[in-house]
Amino acid sequence: MNVNANWLAAPVVLPLMAAAVSLLVSTRVTPKQTRIQRNVAILAAAGNLLVALFLLWLTAGGDQRIVLQVGLWPAPFGITLVADAFSAIMLTLTGLLMLCLVVFASGTLDERQGLNFYPLLLFLLMGVNGAFVAGDLFNLYVFFEVLLMASFVLLSLGGRPAQVNGGLRYVLLNLLASTVFLATTGVVYGTLGTLNLAHLAERMDAAPDWLRIVIAGMLLVAYGSKAGIFPLFFWLPASYHTPHPAVTAIFGGLLTKVGIYALFRIYPLLFPDLLVEWQPLILTIAALTMLVGVFGAMAVKTIRRVLSFHVISQVGYMVMGLGLALSGNQLAAGFGMAAGIFYIVHHMIVKTALLMAGGAAELTMGTGRLEKGYLGGLVKRSPVLAGVFFVAAFSLAGIPPSSGFISKLGLLQIALDAQQWWIAGISLLVSLLTLMSMIRLWQKGFAGPQEDVVAPLRRPNLRLTVAPIALLVTASLAIGVFSGPFFEWSSVAARQVLDRQGYIRAVAPTDQILPIGEQSH
Amino acid sequence: MPERYLALLDRILTPVLFLLAVVFLIVGHNEPGGGFAAGLVVATAFLMQILARGDDFVRKLIGTYLQPAMGVGLVIAIFSAILSLPEGAFLLGVWWKIPLPGGAVLEIGSPTLFDIGVFLVVSAFVTSYLLELSRPARGSRR
Repeated sequence: MNVNANWLAAPVVLPLMAAAVSLLVSTRVTPKQTRIQRNVAILAAAGNLLVALFLLWLTAGGDQRIVLQVGLWPAPFGITLVADAFSAIMLTLTGLLMLCLVVFASGTLDERQGLNFYPLLLFLLMGVNGAFVAGDLFNLYVFFEVLLMASFVLLSLGGRPAQVNGGLRYVLLNLLASTVFLATTGVVYGTLGTLNLAHLAERMDAAPDWLRIVIAGMLLVAYGSKAGIFPLFFWLPASYHTPHPAVTAIFGGLLTKVGIYALFRIYPLLFPDLLVEWQPLILTIAALTMLVGVFGAMAVKTIRRVLSFHVISQVGYMVMGLGLALSGNQLAAGFGMAAGIFYIVHHMIVKTALLMAGGAAELTMGTGRLEKGYLGGLVKRSPVLAGVFFVAAFSLAGIPPSSGFISKLGLLQIALDAQQWWIAGISLLVSLLTLMSMIRLWQKGFAGPQEDVVAPLRRPNLRLTVAPIALLVTASLAIGVFSGPFFEWSSVAARQVLDRQGYIRAVAPTDQILPIGEQSH
Repeated sequence: MPERYLALLDRILTPVLFLLAVVFLIVGHNEPGGGFAAGLVVATAFLMQILARGDDFVRKLIGTYLQPAMGVGLVIAIFSAILSLPEGAFLLGVWWKIPLPGGAVLEIGSPTLFDIGVFLVVSAFVTSYLLELSRPARGSRR
């Protein structure tokens, strides 16, 4: 099917346009200005979801990649945007989460909604979308920076001391990771003479071993710290509990997954052999990430801190999928990759729902502390909220028939098939501990005697708050019940990600630049 | 405390800086310069106003227009990017030739438009950043 590739620019241009338009009314903070900005954001998020669904419909077959050479400059000279099934899945999820979040935010936000909250959210959306369609290393870096800057402002919006404190740690450590990323980009361009991913894939095989190891290692550090893997995760629990709950919800659902996406994209494309060679390293990182996350969650005492630590432990599962991407004896090639992609889908939906529900509980009660006398009795106070939290929590822990069960089962299957018994054991142990942690949250926060509301915060509008959570929870259950087609879908996406030659052919770089050292002066 | 000698100087320098910004903006396509540099030059002019007349003066003068200016700049830049969609590609350069009286031809294209957008975003952003930096800390006396 022939499709106008310019559609690929829409996920970047649409949020930027909406943000620009809503900046036009920001001369002074009035309820009217806030309302206009919110309505523009809802329209833009809905439009973005439609565009993403359209791209998903185009690419879902797994045999087509949409390639946009911006300004008709051929690769590797111009900017290349590429979307395949994996990108489209991520774009669709992002669109869904963003739409839910805008509704959630309009039901819960306090005075911070006047401070350009919605335009910032749209800038964030632009950065995330751009990272999912970027076809070269430098643009990937640029979109990482766009989303980092937007997220930094969102984190410290309101300027409370705890927020500035958390925001500083966040931006400092993330800028450090960005510096590593930029340095790697420099190394790549200096040695291989190109940054286009397809062009790099062509050249990487001929590169000397030490160079490939340096590049792969530096990229692992850069993307790994964005994704929050062990031992580079520490910025996450230091900052995620400080901003408004709506901000935490979207960060926990989206941001670390952009780092995971980059790992899933770059490693199979540029270093497929290292994926096998470094399997022990990647699996060790995965295991330690899971364990640290889940043990950290047991040690902390507010609802959002617990959930932030669970973001880390869940990232471990995705890295496990990456480590097992190319292994397997009886199962088809790419089963591990498919399980990883399926896990990302499950996690993004459930984590956002859970963080939204936890945040709503915190706002309703005025506190998020899981101690006697603070948070409790929410089952009686708002049973609907407690209900959606319950389903989301059990989906995270992996109880059937939720999507969490199927996604963990997939990873377990490939681990057993690849005869990595130890990682299978650890993933089982961690999901048991996750279940315990979720039960603890339930007992302390929702069951038990009804406590008094602590601080007179703005009471959330319950209808606007619960509706998006319910939608996400339903999506999780639907994925769990109809797991067959959904898993088949992620297998298609995984096969396409692993198909290097197809990617190179689709982008079709014209090879006219020579690497340094081969030029004849 | 606004600086006295700057208050004398800025009457001469501000117009010069604005003219310089326009020159940068126009020559930017082929020569060093461009929207980004021109935006920085304009922000420098406002920085001098902040130093010479105090940040309150500048904030009252243009403070509320800074964020809308960023929005306008972004809209212009996006418009220049999607202008070429009828020609078949996103961000493709489109050029018009406008005949001027006297036989000269003014060639203007979407890259110029993009540069103007960048100019607006950069000048407004850097100026608002400078204004925020020069705001006295809460509780401190002037």
